[in-house]
Amino acid sequence: MKKVLATALAVILTVGLFSGCMTQDEDTMYISVISKGFQHQFWQTVKAGSDAAAEDLGVRIFFTGPEGESAIADQINMIDAELAKGPDAIALAALDTEAVLSQLQDAYNRNIPVIGFDSGVPDAPAGQIAANASTDNEAAAALAAEKLFEVLEDKLTAATADSPVVLAVLSQDATSASVTGRTRGFVEKMAELAAGVNDSVAIRGGLSSINKGDANAAVIVEVVVGATPDITDMTNAANGLLNTENLASVFCSNEGAVTGLLAAINAGASVPDGVLLVGFDAGAAQKDAVRSGLFMGAITQDPFQIGYQAVALAVKAARGEAVADIDTGAKWYDAGNMDEPSIAILLYD
Amino acid sequence: MTACATVDNKHFLRLMPTILPIERKKSMSDFAKKIQLQKVLAFGALVILYLFFAVMGRNFTNTATTLNILAQSYFVGFLAMGVTFVIITGGIDLSIGASMMCSTLVGGLLLRNYGWPLWLCLVVVVAFGTLVGLCNGLLVTRLKLPPFIATLGMMLVTLGFGAIITNSTTMRYPTNEGWFRSVFLRTDNNSPTGAIWMLAFFILAFILLNKTKIGRYIFAIGSNEEAVRLSGVKTGRWKCAAYVICGFFTGLGAIFYAAMYTTMIPNTGNGIELQAIAAVVIGGTSLAGGVGSLSGTIIGVFIMSVLRSGLVSMSLPAPYQTFFTGIVVIGAVLLDIYRTKKANEVKRVK
Repeated sequence: MKKVLATALAVILTVGLFSGCMTQDEDTMYISVISKGFQHQFWQTVKAGSDAAAEDLGVRIFFTGPEGESAIADQINMIDAELAKGPDAIALAALDTEAVLSQLQDAYNRNIPVIGFDSGVPDAPAGQIAANASTDNEAAAALAAEKLFEVLEDKLTAATADSPVVLAVLSQDATSASVTGRTRGFVEKMAELAAGVNDSVAIRGGLSSINKGDANAAVIVEVVVGATPDITDMTNAANGLLNTENLASVFCSNEGAVTGLLAAINAGASVPDGVLLVGFDAGAAQKDAVRSGLFMGAITQDPFQIGYQAVALAVKAARGEAVADIDTGAKWYDAGNMDEPSIAILLYD
Repeated sequence: MTACATVDNKHFLRLMPTILPIERKKSMSDFAKKIQLQKVLAFGALVILYLFFAVMGRNFTNTATTLNILAQSYFVGFLAMGVTFVIITGGIDLSIGASMMCSTLVGGLLLRNYGWPLWLCLVVVVAFGTLVGLCNGLLVTRLKLPPFIATLGMMLVTLGFGAIITNSTTMRYPTNEGWFRSVFLRTDNNSPTGAIWMLAFFILAFILLNKTKIGRYIFAIGSNEEAVRLSGVKTGRWKCAAYVICGFFTGLGAIFYAAMYTTMIPNTGNGIELQAIAAVVIGGTSLAGGVGSLSGTIIGVFIMSVLRSGLVSMSLPAPYQTFFTGIVVIGAVLLDIYRTKKANEVKRVK
């Protein structure tokens, strides 16, 4: 009997615990936001953005995500559970597109719009993703080109075929859509800006589809791709790159490239005088490099906007309005502004 | 459904007339009552939990949620049914989670890289699980390793083996195409076919545990292995059988796991064994051995799934689910200890 009483008491207490924190309002629009992670500061900032959007738009959201990038089963459970709750829309950053195909089909059949955010749901069946809220990688990298050009303009104007200037891009691979997008964005913007001040501009290196110009041009934008994405190969590529004659700048198109370059420098490779280094994304090592002035600066994505726009798009889609992909933007940070609150929130470790 | 799962009295008494005093018959029925009580409590808890979430959760009682609760119960259910046999012998099998993942990886490898037909791959999946169970059984009975250590070792072996053979790459089972998911998960019009399989194998396991010689020896070994051995029974053989049965059900569970998630990643699957063992314990099977029931195990499995789906329906983040599952497990084990103590008191008073 005591046991029955104890159990009953426990249940009553639990009910009380929950009833306190639950407010059930079926009329408010309900959006499920399912991320690729949760603990990482990047995702915490995405969540802050989603919460802000929910506040602004007067909707209820539930932000959830698995523990890590390999927890596909957990993410599927989360999507299933959210679909069962009958949300008005779902925002999703899928860990694996193929694994969620039946969930996407289910959402599609039940007219629950799905919005991709961050990396979204790449290669999803046509029509099953209403729109994406993600960083336009080309535009983000172009921002790095503009910042570098501001400093290097005189040098580029003065360059001749006899004393050329090499602007390098260190790229971790030549296949992933996000990394090649950034490489292309930087290279094309830089070539365009340089062409404005110097007649002789060439693009050469590992991304052959965009190569152009003479071998002995005055301004050379050179793409260096590691043999493999491994840290050791990236370090080797960075070593070779720092020995390039007439090097003026290096743009690392993702955190992996930055790590390789920093590893090379830590192992003793010297950065020639006047060579400017620019990174992409954040991470503790890169932030230190920017703070110490070793890096001129870096580009960061805007996870807050990613979260905000994902919810905003989901609300629009749920109301039946037309939605289109949104560029959530990118920000430049350097030793001067990285501690400002609006920037610091975007820089994860 | 609540067939009591203690030792068949008549058989047990014939088996060991000298060891058990006649009063035991009385204490056995008290004992049986205690188990019934635990099962009634567990079932009551399941009903209360369900009603609670039905009131508090969002769309908790709709078809989609019900299907989710069912679907999440299949693979854990098979694992839990299998490990019930081992736990009743007084042993434990920690390898079931990793072994299940490894079985799906073996099947997926044959399917994707060697182009075997799917049905044959599934046969191999079950066979592989059974083989791991046999290894466990032999390690425990022939080499006399403690079950905890033997199965912990096999857990690591299978975890590593799965990653080695697949070269740490992801293996995929058919998602929307073909018959795989309609046969083992649910059909296109949402008939939960997996539940039919689970019911069928529940009946099979029930008969095996309660109506056959194997089942009776498994209970007897769990109660007093030495006594059974002294009565001239080759206990090792029957104990080994429990691990093989567990392995067989693990292999079956692997099929339903593959149907549920279709994307198999090497080096994952840790912790699934604890879900299954927790469900068994919640269902009133004693970790000390000798006492247990399959219907209790199934109730335990559903308590876990209802809890998981329910907390999500209340929009509580994942860590809360882990937290409350832990509370439920501790509560169930406390009940188990309390019950065992009570049962012993009864015996002493006599």
